[in-house]
Amino acid sequence: MSPALLEVDGVTKRFGGLSALNDLSFSVGDGEIVSIIGPNGAGKSTVFNVITGLYPPDEGDVRLRGQSIVGLSPNRITKAGIARTFQNVHLFPNMSVLENAMVGQHSRSKAGVFGSIARTPRVRREEAVIRQRAEECLGFFGKRLAGYRQDQPAFALSYANRRRLEMARALATDPVMMLLDEPTAGMNPKETLELRDHIVRMRDELSLTVLVIEHDMRVVKGVSDRVVACDYGRKIAEGTYEEVANDEQVIEAYLGKRHEELG
Amino acid sequence: MRAEVRIGAIAGVVTIFLAAVGLIGDFTNLNLIGEQVTFAGLMLVLPPLLAGYVATTPRIEAGQVIEATRARAAMVGAVTGASAGVVFAAFVVFVDVFGVERVRAIFLNISPVLMDFLLRGRPVLVAAAILVAISTISGTAGASYRVLPDAARRPLGTAVWVTLLFGFLQRIIPIALDQLDVERDWLYSKVTRGLTWPGAIIVAALAAGASVLKQHRGAAMRRAVSIRPSSDGGGPRLTPVNALLLLVGLAVVFVAPHVVGSVISEVLGTIMVFALLGIGLNIVVGYAGLLDLGYVFFFTLGAYSLALLTGATLNTFVGSSAPVIALDLNFYVAIPVVVAIAAFAGVLIGAPVLRLRGDYLALVTLGLGEMIVVLVTSPWLTPLVGGPQGMRDITNAAIGNFGFRDPKHFYYLAFAFVALALFVSWRLANSRIGRAWTALREDEQVADAMGVSTTSYKLLAFAMGGAIGSVGGALFAVKIGSLTPASFTVLVSIQVLGIVILGGIGSLPGVITGSLVLVGLPGLLREFEEYRLLAYGAALVAVMLLRPQGLVPNVRRSRELHEEDREQDKWAGDIAADEHVAPGISPLGEGAG
Repeated sequence: MSPALLEVDGVTKRFGGLSALNDLSFSVGDGEIVSIIGPNGAGKSTVFNVITGLYPPDEGDVRLRGQSIVGLSPNRITKAGIARTFQNVHLFPNMSVLENAMVGQHSRSKAGVFGSIARTPRVRREEAVIRQRAEECLGFFGKRLAGYRQDQPAFALSYANRRRLEMARALATDPVMMLLDEPTAGMNPKETLELRDHIVRMRDELSLTVLVIEHDMRVVKGVSDRVVACDYGRKIAEGTYEEVANDEQVIEAYLGKRHEELG
Repeated sequence: MRAEVRIGAIAGVVTIFLAAVGLIGDFTNLNLIGEQVTFAGLMLVLPPLLAGYVATTPRIEAGQVIEATRARAAMVGAVTGASAGVVFAAFVVFVDVFGVERVRAIFLNISPVLMDFLLRGRPVLVAAAILVAISTISGTAGASYRVLPDAARRPLGTAVWVTLLFGFLQRIIPIALDQLDVERDWLYSKVTRGLTWPGAIIVAALAAGASVLKQHRGAAMRRAVSIRPSSDGGGPRLTPVNALLLLVGLAVVFVAPHVVGSVISEVLGTIMVFALLGIGLNIVVGYAGLLDLGYVFFFTLGAYSLALLTGATLNTFVGSSAPVIALDLNFYVAIPVVVAIAAFAGVLIGAPVLRLRGDYLALVTLGLGEMIVVLVTSPWLTPLVGGPQGMRDITNAAIGNFGFRDPKHFYYLAFAFVALALFVSWRLANSRIGRAWTALREDEQVADAMGVSTTSYKLLAFAMGGAIGSVGGALFAVKIGSLTPASFTVLVSIQVLGIVILGGIGSLPGVITGSLVLVGLPGLLREFEEYRLLAYGAALVAVMLLRPQGLVPNVRRSRELHEEDREQDKWAGDIAADEHVAPGISPLGEGAG
């Protein structure tokens, strides 16, 4: 197996006396789609927040291509190639849809104060590229975010489109790895299926590596190369969907100890 | 009826307040139109008039808007006005019975002049009855205005306020007309100083005519818009008419100081200094969303560093008159240095407050702003900046022999810098940098996660804001030629913030409007100097209540003020999320971000 793209190595994160993550380790290989599942409070979103630099881990290390990224600010980690979405959608609500995506390109562009004031040809070209990239990323979702919608403020979008825009904005950061935090929450069954295809396309067409937190088992089943199951900040199972879904501990974590009637 | 009486009583109390602060007694001789319409009289009828208008606000019952009938409106107005009149008349009777001099011992402005104006030598009860009658009529008028048909109401309203505005501008328009050698006695009387009656009627007629014309054009335009395909992108286009208007506007701007004379040119100069400060602060507060209450820091820094660089001397009567620092730079060489110093200082000030937000940031910047005022008066820096005495002999920024100290000349210098600052600010706002600032303002943590370095962009906002503010300070120094610490107080910070907020946070036209209103009006209405802060406060309260997004709002920022609507929306989304998940597996996670 080639060296993993992302390695989470023995990460512990405590909030006061509570261990949100407890010696958690897993890795994601290049081009893999890995799902993290687990009941409420299992520490799934905390993993994302530690990886993207929002919280520093108390112990352990996070490595991207073998390089530790612990201690880097979130914007550096984004520049290093990890993009993310949030569990509760966090857009820039008063910026237009296109502008939201254009912000994603920020770390890939470099126009400075004087260039921006003088609007030099180089800055103009860069701005055109930013715009084009942003439009491409919006176009990843077909017509959903295209056309007149591009000029609408983000808050005017439907819930599902907000989730899509958040993903488009993350795509616009030109990442190597995408972290999706419950991408299908709030979507109807049809939209959920559509999104499942999008996740697969991210890997197949954009050659991204995807780490996804998901509750909808149809999605987890449909996209995952591997599944990591967590409970109380610990990894309780890892493997293919079938392996994890039939794991005693996982079933116990979700449904409780007794499971006679459920077979 | 109880509501009307209550509104009327409030109006009565407001009138008493106006009388007690002197807005009636001090202005019995400020004639607006003829000798009959005075400012004092206006203050007397305005509260019941507004009360009558407010009392007839359409009610909403069971989702239907119910407007009062004319008869009912007149009745409501009369009751409201009468109760306002009764409250105020009771006050007048009380003062008369108790004795003016005894009341005056506490309320300085309740003076014999005021009582003469209100009583006119009549017995007090008769005068009180007349006051109640005036108030009743005003209230009825205010209420009747509400129920007039639109076609009549708008021209009438426009005519009244434009005529009154002309009356107020009696120190400006006549001077301008004199400068242009236009006969003006028909419009403004030399005796009363206000508008003459024929003049007032002509002005009112013109204003009403313009209003009618605008109404018609508006209707025509709406028709045209509904026909035209909407594909041609938004924004104003350069049609011949627009181009002509632009040219006329520019011409007015260029000849303005020669038309309006020195006094008003001086006010225009002050407006532009404050506009520069407003443009600078707008970058910090409006674009980056960092509340800075210590902006006077950069104003002071700019003024003093320009003075020092250009060879100003200490303001002492004894001792040498040699420049403190013998650099003696030319103004145009010194300005870039001042800007660089200020930008650097912006980074220095910004660095310690990077982690702070909102009210904490405001408090810390307030403290930092106070520091520089303490510094310039401190004995420690006296050898450098002259302490309380300050500095003099500041450059007049001359090009050749053409100095800019003269208010008419200063106007052009200030105008050039305001135009430059507007350009810089506008370009920055519409660039990758402006986008980063907006993202930062909307959600700092998410902006960080999307690759925007929050540290760099906050510091950049402080640096750019500081740089533009320092130019304001430098121009201020050129304008008055000498500096004393008295000009550099926290009031400057508050005033500039007021300009930015009143005009519309994040909006450049707003900054200009804000400085015209908050600096221009007090500067032009010198009679009201004592009441400047009162009017200032009243204007801010009124704008914040009636137009919280500012006078000329930035679209995006005004939306941010309606955040709660969206929260509602989001909440609806969350419900949907809850309903959708499979039973037993809830999406409520650990609250990311």
